[in-house]
Amino acid sequence: MIPVPHPVDDDAIRISGLSQRFGDFTAIHDLTLSVPPGAFLVLVGPSGCGKSTLLRMLAGLDAPTGGKIAFMGRTVSSGAGGVIVDPRARKAGLVFQSYALWPHMTVAGNIGWPLKVAGWDRAAREARIAEVLSLLAIAGLRDRYPAEISGGQQQRVAIARTLAPKPAILLFDEPLSNLDAKLRIEMRGELMRIHRATGATSVYVTHDQVEAMTMASHVAVMNRGRVEQFGPPLDLLRRPATTFVATFLGTPPGNLLPVRRAGDWLVHGEVRLAPAALSQGRDEVQLLYRAEQLTTTAEAGAPVLAAEFAEAAPMAGRMMVTATVGRLRLSAITADPPGIAPGDAIALTVLGAPDAVFATNGERID
Amino acid sequence: MSAGLIAPPWRRRLPATRHVLPLVLIVVAGVLVVGPLARILLVTLTPSGLGAWADVLASRLSRNLWWLPLANTLILGLGVSAGCLLLGGFTAWLVVLTDAPGRRILGLLHTLPFMIPSFAAALAWGTLFRNARLGGSAGYFEANGLAVPDWLAWGIVPVLIVLVAHYYSLAFTIIAAALSSVGADLVEAAQMTGARRPRILFGIILPVVTPALVSAASLTLAGAVANFAAPALLGLPVRMQTLSTRIFGMIEIGQVERGFVLALLLIGVSGIFLFLSDRLVSGRRAFVTVTGKGGRTRRFPLGRWRWPLLAVGLALGILTTVMPVLVLAASSLAPQAGALFSNWTTHFWLGEGGGQMAQGQAGILRNPVLIEALWNTLKLGVVVALIAMVLGLALAHTITRRKGTVLANVLSQLAFLPLLVPSIAFAAAYIALFGRPIGPLPSLYGSFALLVIAAAAHNLPYAVQAGRSVLGQIAGDLEESARLAGAGALRRMWAIVIPLAIRGLLAGAILVFVKMVRDLSLVVLLSTVATPVLSMVAYRYASEGFTQFANAITVLILVICLAASLVAQMLQARVQRWKR
Repeated sequence: MIPVPHPVDDDAIRISGLSQRFGDFTAIHDLTLSVPPGAFLVLVGPSGCGKSTLLRMLAGLDAPTGGKIAFMGRTVSSGAGGVIVDPRARKAGLVFQSYALWPHMTVAGNIGWPLKVAGWDRAAREARIAEVLSLLAIAGLRDRYPAEISGGQQQRVAIARTLAPKPAILLFDEPLSNLDAKLRIEMRGELMRIHRATGATSVYVTHDQVEAMTMASHVAVMNRGRVEQFGPPLDLLRRPATTFVATFLGTPPGNLLPVRRAGDWLVHGEVRLAPAALSQGRDEVQLLYRAEQLTTTAEAGAPVLAAEFAEAAPMAGRMMVTATVGRLRLSAITADPPGIAPGDAIALTVLGAPDAVFATNGERID
Repeated sequence: MSAGLIAPPWRRRLPATRHVLPLVLIVVAGVLVVGPLARILLVTLTPSGLGAWADVLASRLSRNLWWLPLANTLILGLGVSAGCLLLGGFTAWLVVLTDAPGRRILGLLHTLPFMIPSFAAALAWGTLFRNARLGGSAGYFEANGLAVPDWLAWGIVPVLIVLVAHYYSLAFTIIAAALSSVGADLVEAAQMTGARRPRILFGIILPVVTPALVSAASLTLAGAVANFAAPALLGLPVRMQTLSTRIFGMIEIGQVERGFVLALLLIGVSGIFLFLSDRLVSGRRAFVTVTGKGGRTRRFPLGRWRWPLLAVGLALGILTTVMPVLVLAASSLAPQAGALFSNWTTHFWLGEGGGQMAQGQAGILRNPVLIEALWNTLKLGVVVALIAMVLGLALAHTITRRKGTVLANVLSQLAFLPLLVPSIAFAAAYIALFGRPIGPLPSLYGSFALLVIAAAAHNLPYAVQAGRSVLGQIAGDLEESARLAGAGALRRMWAIVIPLAIRGLLAGAILVFVKMVRDLSLVVLLSTVATPVLSMVAYRYASEGFTQFANAITVLILVICLAASLVAQMLQARVQRWKR
């Protein structure tokens, strides 16, 4: 579906040294990453991490203050020249969080207008409108106005409108955040189907790590205007580079236990958790234990943390128990509901060696 | 009346109010709104009334009584509407959609002209542009050797200019509000398609705000059609008549029935346009607003046009706001129209009279008529504001609590009817109903009471609107949660309802007060020597050629209006500290 042939070694999107400052505030710090054609890149992070700012620069709506962006080897934005290539010439389409449907145009009008602006003739427009309407399964809504259709349907129209001019790069700004939980899962599947059907390189912004894990070919976890870690989703889950990534990804997220060295052991409070060698000479480190490494049944020889029970939720046939140790919230997996009241004491058994060790500054050391 | 504001437990104790209050309201609204309108229609259906219809529409006189004034009225209406759309649209675009510097100041500046009564602008125009055609002292320009042609000094052109200068800020307010509701993402979605700026403006932004454009056009048109002050001050001296000046003239010289017929026709003309604009917008599926990502608007960079366009916007604001006020103030101090800024004297304000100046008349602050008028005006403003707000709240309460019932629909139609009736025609209707004794009731003509009830009725739509928004702010659950906390009805009133409502009530009351203080077209028919009000006295002085006195009184009116607005703001800030 990508009309322009391009050298195979060229990245579809290459971002180098990109930064964005608003007065004293730096929204994006010296950011560099690239993805190959056909990739599905998910930018994930908490609100205010700079992911939407990055997306708007990719769309050409805002100019960076430093660095550059290249699509298919062609520089489209740079800190020196601002927005070099306007949105149309980028062959990029953006799906807005609010859908941004034009309220005075019908569904067909919304989809057709970008084609009209691009100079398509009437017959070609009609054919393309029919095509994307059926791709999104909304042919029946053709003559309705945006105010007359549901949120989920508006979402489909917004996607159809963006797909109509056959963009080489698709940009999504938290497109599912206004839908209810069930629709969200359904649309997730739809978006992946559309991605396969069009083959367009996609950049998808979300704060929902589940969306990142399920949809992405590449994930960039962003925090405070920087990319904390970039790579395939499973790599990030298995080998988080920082404590931020370790606690942001995964359902439930991993448990981080601050420990200090006491003789031959790393201890949390008085509990001996792991051999001191893991700290590589540091006095204090943080240990990552997965939720499945914490349980409530006693195990001979395994360390036990005295915790306070907070809540339990069923999850895939087992129970996810949340408990607190001091100000620390920990997740554990058990077979049965604990059968106690919140605030009651609960013993958490720690199974096996820590999955990862981080320095106090959040960097992974093992 | 206030029983209607109180929540269910009180109703239980006084079960009768449930049914009594709406009945009382229907009767009151009927007497205040429908009575006069029905009466004016009936009066013109008597044998002599039908004769008046014939005189106006089909006789030798009808050219001068109806067709020429109609033509002038329509030219003014359409011209003012077009001018207001252009100026209001341009300024709204500049303030809301561009990166022009000083946008906040521009925004404030362009809302002000509507606060200044149109007779102030008309008087200021006369002070500057009056020429020798009618004798008397010349205006500023002519006195300084610049010949002012008749068409610029008198008649339709200056009236058009003055009315556009007055009403464009209404268009600005409406269009700016609509433009700022167009979410940035709607515009950005259009930018993503590669559309150029003009295409985005005409293809996306303007269609989205079409309802606002239509209502700005129709409201400014209705305003211009009904306006009395500008054509009376700048058109009447050269016999340019509009329907409203004709109504005034006919009733003044005692040809009351012809005046009534013209009033009905004016209601019809204004009604047709309001109806057409309503049809144009309502019921269109395309005009249902879909709100974007709230609040943010996409501003277009103006580049090298930033400063020139800012200059145009500023100049427009200054010419329509600062200039008229400055000219009026200076003129009230300057003995010669040709030297507005020299030989200043306080004679026209404080002079003892008996001298050479102003034919020996004393300054306005020594004039007992004016003091009485000042007192009357303030009394009128306060009393009307109070009555209108109490009535408005009671109506709003009944309408919202009984939403969907026939009763609520009838009441809401009644309450909004005066909005469709030009004030001078409304005043004529009041004369028709109360101008002669009704049974044992004496004629109210010339009484303060008539002024008060007519004004309260005419302001009812604003009061009901204010009441509705006030009640809307006090969502039912706020009161209910106070009830669950165990607060009794009085305590809820005191602790929840009044603190939340006070801002809206004050704003509504002040709006009505200000509208009354600067009103001319309603009081011009109802105020008599026995009940002088400021605007009326200013109008009399102006039509007798005592420009400085008229200007001084107008300055006084402006000061009162400004003070009222300031007081309102201060009170709001004190009362609702959490809004800071």
